Amino acid sequence: MKKIKKYVPVLYWAIVVALLGLYFTNDFGLVDIHKTSFIVAVGVDTEEDEVQVTAQIAVPQPSTSGDSINYIEVQGSGFTIADALNEINAKTGTYPQLLFCQLILIGDSCKDKELFQVLGCFYRRNYSELTALVAMCEGKASDMLAKPASIAPENSEGLQKVLSHELEKSGNVTKANLKTIAEANFSESKACYMPYIQMNKPGTSQNGGGDRIGGDDVEQSQSTASGSGQSNGGQGGASAQSGGGQDEPVEFTARKTAIFSEGKFAGILDETQSFALNMLETSVDMAIIPCTVGETEYTIGLKGISGKADFKVEKGVPKLTVTFKANAQVQGAKKVLEPHSVVNDDVVKKEVLDGAEKELKTRFENLIEISRKTGCDMLGIRKQLHKYYYKYYDAFKDDVLNRMEISYKIEVISTN
Amino acid sequence: MTKISCRQICFIMLIYTAVSKFIIYPTYLSYYTGRDLLFSALINFAVQGVIVWSVSYLCSRTDKTFFGLLKDTFGNIFARIIFGLFALFFLLATINPLFEQKLYVHDIFYDTVPSLMIFLPVFFFLVYASAKPFLNIGRCADICLPLFLLSMLLILVMSLHEVKFDNFLPVFTQPKKIFSSSLASVFRFIEPAYLLMFMGRFRYKKGDAAKITISYIGGAVFVLVVLAAFYGIYGDVAPTRHFAISKISLFFPAIDLVGRIDLLALYVLEITMLFALVLNIQLAIECIAQCTGYENRAVLSVAVNAVFFLILIFCDNKYNAISTLFSKWMWIVFLIFANLIPLASWFLRKKNEED
Repeated sequence: MKKIKKYVPVLYWAIVVALLGLYFTNDFGLVDIHKTSFIVAVGVDTEEDEVQVTAQIAVPQPSTSGDSINYIEVQGSGFTIADALNEINAKTGTYPQLLFCQLILIGDSCKDKELFQVLGCFYRRNYSELTALVAMCEGKASDMLAKPASIAPENSEGLQKVLSHELEKSGNVTKANLKTIAEANFSESKACYMPYIQMNKPGTSQNGGGDRIGGDDVEQSQSTASGSGQSNGGQGGASAQSGGGQDEPVEFTARKTAIFSEGKFAGILDETQSFALNMLETSVDMAIIPCTVGETEYTIGLKGISGKADFKVEKGVPKLTVTFKANAQVQGAKKVLEPHSVVNDDVVKKEVLDGAEKELKTRFENLIEISRKTGCDMLGIRKQLHKYYYKYYDAFKDDVLNRMEISYKIEVISTN
Repeated sequence: MTKISCRQICFIMLIYTAVSKFIIYPTYLSYYTGRDLLFSALINFAVQGVIVWSVSYLCSRTDKTFFGLLKDTFGNIFARIIFGLFALFFLLATINPLFEQKLYVHDIFYDTVPSLMIFLPVFFFLVYASAKPFLNIGRCADICLPLFLLSMLLILVMSLHEVKFDNFLPVFTQPKKIFSSSLASVFRFIEPAYLLMFMGRFRYKKGDAAKITISYIGGAVFVLVVLAAFYGIYGDVAPTRHFAISKISLFFPAIDLVGRIDLLALYVLEITMLFALVLNIQLAIECIAQCTGYENRAVLSVAVNAVFFLILIFCDNKYNAISTLFSKWMWIVFLIFANLIPLASWFLRKKNEED
């Protein structure tokens, strides 16, 4: 026994030396920043039976000037997203997981496919975190990811700006991430929604005022990522964009909303319907609505907003109450400014408040109408029926959207 | 005989009860019971809580160790056999957490696909820590308490804002699943067996049974809060998310700006998880020592960890099979060793003959 004890320190030193040897000769799977890349955004298009995935990849560069990241777009295709990503991995020489992917853009071509067949890969095991934003885009996702953004040096950053938390708080955009769409789709409502992104030429806007936000359409680029693999990435320093500088920067807007029912594309909500959806489904701090009173057009700012679609079953009758409360302030009026009367605008006139209420009611009615028409339960009526009135669920689940009685309690009061 | 304090046992009940159920257990319950997962966990904790109280109250009636009770009632040979079986039980109870740890470390702390080699150095720690004497168990618990509380505070603060409590409605739609998953989860609840091993190893004072039970309830509350946060955040998607404790803080708004600061808390919590793992091995070694009379813990530690080392290498990609084996069949073993024997210990001869 004493002999063994004598060798214990020697044994420990041997282990320490062995560990140090391992430590200094093996990277233990650690990432060499010069040999790796991170997928920061993914665009998904479908073509016949295949999925085309365009990955926007951040490639860290050795640099002392602070410009240390290049962004490139690489495309892969396959039967599944994982298959396509494997091709991307082969092209980039690394095996980037999707843990840093912050945006998933779904192209128009995915409208004909099952949403969760396309996106299923992101939910398997821990392939990616469910925090990544999800949006559908007009045209091909690969084209949109390849266009330089006018509001941010990096395309995916520009896209994320139009989906930002600030815009969500102003009711201007519907926000969705992998978690929220899966939660909504796999609930009893079997419906989900996500923002619909469009591209516009910078420096242009849509005429007509109010919610008509946008600009001239951008022609879909033919020169970028489509088809044959790797698109030309920006190589000349940090955040340079693809296209070799040939593409004009574009503006992005996400005021519309793509809706899905039972995993299939069900339509697109226009700006006013999206606004109504945002008022009921998200926490909005400040919103702007136009309303017309007499011949004067007003722009009303809404604060202190609380809106909800409250579903109840009373005496065996399903009822939906849309409740909306807000404080209003006149932010603009299409009339000649008179300094003395502006002071009076602090107390919003009753007819203006009535006009705002009427405008809001119209928007909520349009939203519910499209929900009934498409069968897309984006307000989660069936989910509420299942959660709070379980005994009625089997009886009402099939036709509750059409059967329910609807009432509106809209109250817009003056801020002062 | 060196004794640990009641305070340290309370810490063990609080910390190790919780951390041993943070990795796969929430995902498992979400899959089998869905929104009723809290009820399933409550059943387990209620049953175990009663047994924990029963064993800790038994400590007020005798100052003998569990081995002493068995020896005085059935004789030395029988006591050694039972301790041999308990050694096997603790070895068995270590397998699932060890594999969970491997998967957790691989998945959470690495961006690439790590090899098994990355995890194997943990055995240097396991061999060293499990060779330490019994007194060391209490000291580890003392060290773990502040680490546990700080990391849990950070993780829960970052998580709770995202919880939607209506994800738990409607309740009791599939009551049978609640009970069946409780039964299948029994192998994760072995705290009464810990207490049996602590019997006679601490100086019982009035009220200690209540303190130990309350500490256990505290640990249960932490688990229930994590379960509630996990399912409240992920709802029906929860079964697709493994390693719950690392997933619940992901939606904290500041993470978008400053990155995964929650990983700091998870690293700290990992230390307590490793000590919880070590406790099983330490108790297994203790039982082997009692059974065989061989006291050299260093040799026993190397031998026991060598077994785990081989299991880990040969069953590297077999976690699903191991998990299924434990949930479908091994619950019987755990029911006997962590539930029935602790309760039955009340019938052992508690007083010395001269008493």
